[in-house]
Amino acid sequence: MQRRKLLQMLAAGAAFYGPWKVHHAWAQAGQKKPLVIGLTMDASGQFGASGTSERLGAMMAIREFNEKGGVLGRHIEALHIDTETTPATGSRVAERMITRNEVAFLIGGLSSGVANAIGQVAQKYGVVYFNSNSSSPTESGRDCKRVKFVWDGNGTNFAQAIVKNAIKVNGANWALLTNDYIWGHNTSKATRELVVKNGGRVIDELMVPQGTRDFSSFLLKLQQMKPQVVAAAVGGDDFRAMRQQVMQTKLDRQFAWVNNQQDWEDVYGLGAEAAFGVFGTTWYYRFDLPGVKEFVEKYKKTFPGMQVKNPGNTFYNGYVATRELLRCVEEAGTTNNIAIIKKLEGRKMSARDRMQHHDAWIDPVTHQCQQTIYMATYNDKPAEPDDIFKVLSQVAPADVVDPDAPKACKMASYQETPSYEQ
Amino acid sequence: MVDLTPHLLNGISLGLMFALIALGFMLIVGVMEVINLAHGSLFALGAYFAVFIMGLNLGVGIEARYAAAFLLAPVGVALVGMGLEFAMRRTYGKDPLYGLLLTFGAALVIEELIRLIWGSGEKQLSLPPDLSGAMLIGGFIYAKYRLYAAAAAIGLIVLLWLFLEKTPYGAMIKAGAHDSEMVRALGINLTRLRLFVFALGTALAAVAGIVLAPIWGVRPHVGVDAVVPAFLIIVLGGVGSFWGAVIAGILVGIVVAVTGAYASEWSLMSMYLLLIALVTFRARGLFGKKTALEN
Repeated sequence: MQRRKLLQMLAAGAAFYGPWKVHHAWAQAGQKKPLVIGLTMDASGQFGASGTSERLGAMMAIREFNEKGGVLGRHIEALHIDTETTPATGSRVAERMITRNEVAFLIGGLSSGVANAIGQVAQKYGVVYFNSNSSSPTESGRDCKRVKFVWDGNGTNFAQAIVKNAIKVNGANWALLTNDYIWGHNTSKATRELVVKNGGRVIDELMVPQGTRDFSSFLLKLQQMKPQVVAAAVGGDDFRAMRQQVMQTKLDRQFAWVNNQQDWEDVYGLGAEAAFGVFGTTWYYRFDLPGVKEFVEKYKKTFPGMQVKNPGNTFYNGYVATRELLRCVEEAGTTNNIAIIKKLEGRKMSARDRMQHHDAWIDPVTHQCQQTIYMATYNDKPAEPDDIFKVLSQVAPADVVDPDAPKACKMASYQETPSYEQ
Repeated sequence: MVDLTPHLLNGISLGLMFALIALGFMLIVGVMEVINLAHGSLFALGAYFAVFIMGLNLGVGIEARYAAAFLLAPVGVALVGMGLEFAMRRTYGKDPLYGLLLTFGAALVIEELIRLIWGSGEKQLSLPPDLSGAMLIGGFIYAKYRLYAAAAAIGLIVLLWLFLEKTPYGAMIKAGAHDSEMVRALGINLTRLRLFVFALGTALAAVAGIVLAPIWGVRPHVGVDAVVPAFLIIVLGGVGSFWGAVIAGILVGIVVAVTGAYASEWSLMSMYLLLIALVTFRARGLFGKKTALEN
């Protein structure tokens, strides 16, 4: 036999034997193939800290289902690969998880750039993808996808909740401090429109490149501009560095600061004053609502010895998103993507179930979870060291809906979306 | 000009901090011809050691703890640096890629060790009250700490310069950078000299980490933010040139600060554009020596 022929036969044998071995093993054991969920969370880069919390939230939901016997009689396995807060890595990870690891679903997204990249790959294959924590309005607007569901409040929701009141209380002259990437751009765009609509004026906008560590020139420029309100759309490590420098110069007392959304991990462990200005969030661990105490206790029991002693909004989103996905699989009785998408579109979730103040729903047109938005500031009378937020008000989801998203969102039809099932 | 002045002054203070970051890197590249990619991780380790020392219950005030952290953390990092130099010995005289790969690997290991020991969350380096807070300069609110950091950078630059120029050991280091074989032929223990230079370079990285910690914050991957400007500054200043690194650092600080104020989206990119512009016309950097090909 020729050597080339032999190699060809060996290659063909290996190609057949690989998948056969895997499936054959499950068949022999009389068990169903595990349901693999791909967790596309950042573990490094600008959103590494928040991504880690989000992943733990998803893991806790998966653990709960496994304790009940999994879904559809299948054990659930989680596969996590670090997306590094880098869109190119997000694409690569999603592609690999779908084509090589045969994941049934993808969950995870902190950076909107990464979430958008993952969403494109997911749509190509028809894999249902949950963007659990990224907040650019484009995620449920221009970049919406049939397979993608957005679980966090977005920049427009938060701006809707804050801007009008801030103009009334603090003044009409605004300066924008904007992280120079998709989330920052779109959040600032929404803020600018709302400022103008409510009779305010944007005197200037300073773009903050991602990776900025020194904010001294921005802070000097703000002093030259003399705005009444500074609306910052700066996230992750950039925000942490900025906060540190704002606190050092006491500029938090010089202007009114509006910090669109504040992730728990970005201020955790730094004392109440680190959460300066007014900001939005979707959940707080000290809500006096049914289920919150038990949820917090469960977090502590499941992940003992964690540096972050109490769960925050990113953990919460990771948890509720994963739990809802698995519920939909149970209800649909299948992992077929179209069946799951139909279960999710227009889905209603009670306030009690979600541990928020108002019922939530998934907009069938934009695929964004419409939920209660909370306004908060730093807590000057903390009941315990972690009690760093003082929740000022809550806004019902209907009052903060992004009106432009349905017009911008053009998603593929069911027929155009590839059928996918694992 | 009225508008520009505060940004120029801010740029100089920022530049001094950049120069401080680059000094240790420059020393190791200059003497040992090793690009130490672990410089950033050692920078981060210095900040973490300082946070650890500040957190110890020593029964003394915050000023004394800060002083202890400032002195002891660089010593701890220097010991780590010496360990790294031991590991590097087998790469001397071989393809430079080996040293590059080894220090890159060390950077990853140090960063992961930091994660394992201190966790991935943010840490804060407490400051004595006299160093924190704000002050008014020319009608602008400025952080007191930034002035302290700039002063600390000037002090360290001067001390290092005096050490290199005015002490016999400094003369040996400079000679080692110029012609290591000749230094060995003169009976100087080159192995010990290299060990000392590596320890000094890594201790300087730690000092920079401690000084920058209250401005940049303390995270396991904060070193990545330090190693890139350090590399850029020594190329810009001319590899091995002490004053080249200092002047390039100040130049980068001014460019970043001024673009931050007037074309903010270019503030990070500006340092790279500066490098491209300079290297295009002067490949050896500001104060780099001419190569044989240029003579």
